[in-house]
Amino acid sequence: MNVLEVSDLKVRYSAKGPEILKGIDFEVKDDDFLAIIGPSGAGKSTLIRAVNRLVEPTGGRITLLGEDVRNLNPRQLRGLRRNVGMIFQEFNLINRMSVMDNVLSGRLGYTGNLRSLFRAFPQSDVNQALYYLDRVGLSDHINKRADELSGGQRQRVGIARALMQRPKLLLLDEPTSALDPKISREVMHLIRDIALELKVPALCNIHDVQLAKEFCNRIIGMQDGIKKFDGATETLRDADLEEIYAMEVL
Amino acid sequence: MTEQAITAKLPSNGPTWSRYRYPESLYRFGTLLVVVLFLGYSLHFLNVDIAKLIGALGRLVGVVSDRYYPPDLEYVLDRGYLAAILDTLQMSFLGSFAGVCLAVPLAWFSAGNVTPHRVMFPVGRLGVISCRAIHETIWTILFVSVLGFGMLAGVSALTMFCIGFAGKLFADEIEAIDMGPVEAMQSAGANPLQVFLFAVVPQVRVAFTGIAIYTWDVAFRAATVVGFFGGGGMGWYLKRNVQQLENLRVAAIILSIIAMVLIAEFLSGYLRSAVNRAK
Repeated sequence: MNVLEVSDLKVRYSAKGPEILKGIDFEVKDDDFLAIIGPSGAGKSTLIRAVNRLVEPTGGRITLLGEDVRNLNPRQLRGLRRNVGMIFQEFNLINRMSVMDNVLSGRLGYTGNLRSLFRAFPQSDVNQALYYLDRVGLSDHINKRADELSGGQRQRVGIARALMQRPKLLLLDEPTSALDPKISREVMHLIRDIALELKVPALCNIHDVQLAKEFCNRIIGMQDGIKKFDGATETLRDADLEEIYAMEVL
Repeated sequence: MTEQAITAKLPSNGPTWSRYRYPESLYRFGTLLVVVLFLGYSLHFLNVDIAKLIGALGRLVGVVSDRYYPPDLEYVLDRGYLAAILDTLQMSFLGSFAGVCLAVPLAWFSAGNVTPHRVMFPVGRLGVISCRAIHETIWTILFVSVLGFGMLAGVSALTMFCIGFAGKLFADEIEAIDMGPVEAMQSAGANPLQVFLFAVVPQVRVAFTGIAIYTWDVAFRAATVVGFFGGGGMGWYLKRNVQQLENLRVAAIILSIIAMVLIAEFLSGYLRSAVNRAK
């Protein structure tokens, strides 16, 4: 079954600006761990943000969890977004809040305004947060402020926060680019293991081809807003890579 | 390699580089020229007499020593006047408190990056701008004509002043935040209020506290003027004595205002640096 179907997706940031995505088609199946590779400026980040409309698409069709994403009103869009966990390159944590509050903020889509105002999350959410913090190995850092943690630890907080949404799809925007090679591998391991464990498909931007080959079952290659390759990881040959990276956008 | 050796290696007809390139240089020097010309024209047009200006300073000293010395310090230590100082303090405190509270939502609406709705943006901007557009003395005159003389008019005028003052600074602060957490909260399905509470407030909390203290400091200074125009407190005493030509009392009142402003300035500076240290 397809969790996400994208057809002829086009994005431009301003009416006169260049077209960043020039008609992209792909789908994510419910057991995919899909990598998007490509040179800087290929539109990988834009693509992933267009899926939950953090970036507004200008053309094409996106069907996410059976809903036509582009036709949702703001309330429906928020309802859909809370089913999609997102993990970011720069972690995007709230630095002045504790690790616990950061993780709990993943539940905001399910929490009322009054509870949000006093950060009075239900006990069940707190229990769930404790469980995921343990799962990502941060049980000893629950009350620390997010800016006291190392890069790898921060990304683990980001992972726990995304999991709090009980996501049906994970969007990973370069989750390891800000980390060193050893920690990158650990973090990718953790994400893949959890995705398998919870049976959540993932769509992952990644510029490190080695990591993509190692952790993902399918790869999409992008170049300058166009899809250049789409297939199982085993079928990606060096010639394909050379084509994807042939025209580095400076 | 010696200095000469390096110089010798440089080609005599190599590429050149100059900081001043046409047409940027033209714009830069043109602007400077226009400013200087306008300054000269203004001085000429206003007929500013430099000699007279320098002489004024001496005359000021003369007038002060003739009419305003010695200041009637007993008057400012009087019960009634000390109560007026307290009134002014309370007025500035109430006004800045109410103003800051109202400025927070307006600043949120008027911050282009996280405004909750397209319609709210102009509402917030207009609110802040209209508070700023009218000077605090004019606000006082307006409120005195509606509410009558006294503290209520003064507090209302100071509230409007503080909304304009803090609202602008708050909005600037919000517009400078890191948008990463905002994006993260939006992607988790948070509504605009939740985004504000979780992604914006933690980032601006410290700056807002500093601005709020500064707003009180400025409001205290404004409170003396507001009093002069009918808002009550120290300013009201000042006006009465100016009109009655009680110059020695006026001198004492001005000294007391300077002293209080200095104390407020020192206190606000101390509190703001304490807040910044706390992060």
